[in-house]
Amino acid sequence: MNRLRALHPSIDIGFKALTRNRLQTGLTMLGITVGVATVLAMMAVGAGAQRSIEQQVRAAGLNQLTIKAGNWKPKTEDSGGAVAHQGDAEDTMRLPVEELMPVLPDAGDPFAGAADILPIDFHPEDDPMEKHDHPLAWQRLGDLEAGLGAATTLSFADAEAIRQLPGVQYVAGGVHGNARVHYRPDGAPEKRWFTRMHGTDLHLLDIKRTWTLRSGRFFTEEEQDDKAMVLVLGSVVAEKVFGEKVDPVGKELMLWNQNFRVIGVVTSASWVVRPAAGDDEFDAVYMPYTTTHQLLNLTKLNDITVTASSTGEVSDVSKRITELLRQRHNITNEKPDDFTISTQATRAITTGGLPPNVAAAIAGNVKELERVTLEQLAGTLERASGTMRWLLAAVAAVSLLVGGIGIMNITLLSVTERTKEIGLRMAVGARGRDVTRQFLTEAVAISLAGGAVGVVLGLVASYLISSTLRWATVVSPGSVLIAFGVSAAVGVLFGWYPARRAAELDPIDALRHE
Amino acid sequence: MIGVRSLEKEYHVGDHVVRALRGVTLDIAGGEFVTVVGPSGSGKSTFMHILGCLDRPTRGQYLLGGRDVSTLPHDELARVRNETIGFVFQGFNLLSRTSALENVELPLLYTRKGAVKAAERRDRARRALAAVGLTDREEHHPNQLSGGQQQRVAIARALVNEPSLLLADEPTGNLDTATSHEVMEVFAKLRAERGITIVVITHERDIAAWGTRTIDFKDGVVVSDQQHQPSMGSHTPVSA
Repeated sequence: MNRLRALHPSIDIGFKALTRNRLQTGLTMLGITVGVATVLAMMAVGAGAQRSIEQQVRAAGLNQLTIKAGNWKPKTEDSGGAVAHQGDAEDTMRLPVEELMPVLPDAGDPFAGAADILPIDFHPEDDPMEKHDHPLAWQRLGDLEAGLGAATTLSFADAEAIRQLPGVQYVAGGVHGNARVHYRPDGAPEKRWFTRMHGTDLHLLDIKRTWTLRSGRFFTEEEQDDKAMVLVLGSVVAEKVFGEKVDPVGKELMLWNQNFRVIGVVTSASWVVRPAAGDDEFDAVYMPYTTTHQLLNLTKLNDITVTASSTGEVSDVSKRITELLRQRHNITNEKPDDFTISTQATRAITTGGLPPNVAAAIAGNVKELERVTLEQLAGTLERASGTMRWLLAAVAAVSLLVGGIGIMNITLLSVTERTKEIGLRMAVGARGRDVTRQFLTEAVAISLAGGAVGVVLGLVASYLISSTLRWATVVSPGSVLIAFGVSAAVGVLFGWYPARRAAELDPIDALRHE
Repeated sequence: MIGVRSLEKEYHVGDHVVRALRGVTLDIAGGEFVTVVGPSGSGKSTFMHILGCLDRPTRGQYLLGGRDVSTLPHDELARVRNETIGFVFQGFNLLSRTSALENVELPLLYTRKGAVKAAERRDRARRALAAVGLTDREEHHPNQLSGGQQQRVAIARALVNEPSLLLADEPTGNLDTATSHEVMEVFAKLRAERGITIVVITHERDIAAWGTRTIDFKDGVVVSDQQHQPSMGSHTPVSA
C-alpha cells in the first residue's frame, strides 16, 4: 500500500516533467502510437480471419448435402480393395468439347438411339486423331454418353420427392458440363470464353449463401418452367467476356449456337472465396436445368444439392434421403446405393489427401468432420491473412523499436535534467529502487499515453482495412488490453536503462550537479 | 549522539589520491549546536557528507546514536538518512512547480517504518511549516517565495520526519545578512524547543557564532574545537 501511495506523487511528478517537454514527449509517443496501432490491426486481421472461418463454415454450409449420381465409397481395409473411385458423374463429364459443333436442339439426329448399341467402355471422342465433326456428343448420345448414363439415376422427380422430406430446407438439382460462350458485339471481333455450364434450380441462390448478385437477378420459377433462354453469369465470365466496367445484364450471349439473354451476375460475398478463372462457381454460367435438358435432350441430373433446416439434422436428412432414393430406385437390400451423399465435411476429408482408411475411420463422426472442415478452412485463411499479418508485424516491430529508443532518449534527458532532484530524493531517504520506480513510471506513462492514442488509431486502421481491402477484422477487448500491455512493456524495457542509471547516481555528485 | 574515530577519506582523482580527511576524532553530544568552519578544501564538506550518511569513510568509525553506520549498505544508509537525519542545503533544493506543502511531504514518501497515510502526511507537513512560521505559504511554489522563505521550507522538510540530527551545508550561503540571521534563529529555536542536534557548515564567522561549539577544519584535520556561548540566543531580536 505504501508503495502505491509513493507511486502516486511519482506519477504526478512524471506527468509534470512530460508536459514540460511537450514536443519531445509528443514525438516520442508517436513511435509507440504507430507500433501499438499496427499491433492492434495485426490482431484484428488475425481475429477477423478466425471469425470468418466460423462464418464461412456456417454460410458454406455444414447443413449442406450433395447427392451425386453413381456410387463412391472410400477404400477400406476390410472391403478388400474391391471398391475404389468409380469416378463420379461430374468427372466423367469433363469431356474435350473444344470443337463442339453448333447444333440446333430440334435438328435431326442420325445417331439417336446409339446409346443402346455402343459399348460403354468405348467413347467416340477417345481417339485424339479423330476429327470431331459429329454433332454434340450429349445430344447425339443422350444421357448415357453425357455421363448421365448407366451410373446416372437421379431425376428431377427424385429432387421433387426429396423436397417433400421433413428437415429439408432447399433442394436444387443440377446438370453440369463445360461450354464455350461467344459474344459478338456489333462490328467488334468475337469474344469467346470456355467455361463451366451449370443447369440448375432457382433455389440454388438460397443454398449458396456466400453468393451475392452483383447485378440483375437469378431466374424465376416461370423462366424455369418455360425453359427460358436466360443466363446468369459468374463474375469471372462477365469480366472476361464483357470487361470489368460493362454491366452485361440485358446483353445477348451465344452458347451452343443459341442466343441467351444475360439476366444477372453472381459473385462471392465472402472475402475468403475470391472468384478466379477456372473455379467452378464464378468462372461459370447458370441456366435453368429445364433449359439444359431441353437443349441437350437430357432427362437426368448429375447431382442434387440439399440444405437441411439445421446443422444437427444433416445426418437424419441424409438417412431419409438414402431410404427414399433406394426405394424410388428399387434397390434391394443386398445391392449398393446407386448414388452418393456427401456433406461439406466428408468432401473436405475426401479431397484433403487423407488415406482412404483414415477417411473411413473418421466418417460417421460428425463432430470430427466439422473439426476437420474447420481446420481446412483455417488453413486457407491462415495463408490468405498471413502475408498481411507479417507486414503488419514488421511495421509494428520497427515502430515499437523506434518508439522504445525515443522513450529511452527522453527518459535519459529527464534523468539528466533532474539529477539534482534525484540527489535530493536520495538525501531524504529514497533508495535506488525508489528512484528506478519513479523514472520507470515516467517511461511507462509516455508509452501508455502513446499506446492509448495507438489503440484509437488501431481501431481506425482496422476499420479502414475491412472497408477498403474487404478483409474481415475483429477488435476484441482482449486485444486492446494486449496492445496496452505491449506499450507498457516497451516503456519498462526501454525505460529500464535510464532509470537504473538514475538510481546508481552518487547522491553527493547528484546534489552538486547544476 | 555522534562519535567519529580516526575518520579518513580518500578520493582518487586520476592518478592522484586526495586525502580529504586525515584522521578526525571527535564526539558531538545530543542537543549541541555545532558550527563547522574552515577554508575551501579543508575537508569540512566531506566530514558533513559522512555525518549525513551520504558517503562512507575510507577508514575509521562513525557511530551514530551508538550504532556503527560507516559500513552499512546503501539501502540501510538511505533509511538512516530518512529517519534520523534532516538536510538543509545552500541552494535550498526545493522541487520547482511543486507547492511548499508537497515539498515538505517529500521525505514521508520514503518512510519505511510504517505506512504514512496521505492525510497524515499533509498534517505533519503543515505542522512542520508552522514550526518555521510559514503557515500562510503552504500552497506557494518555490518561485513565489523569497530566499529566506525557501530556506525555511527546506528546514521544514528536514524536520518533517522528526530527525534527531539536522545537518546544514552553508544554509545561509545564498542569503543576505538579515535573512541569514533569520534562518539561524530558526535553528536556534529548534534546538531550544526540541533538543535537536544541529551541525551547520559555514565560512562566515558571525554565522558560526550562533552555535554552542565551533570546530575548525584545515587540510583534513581539526585544528580547533571550542565550546562557547551562542553570541545571539534565540531570545535576541533580529536586527536589520
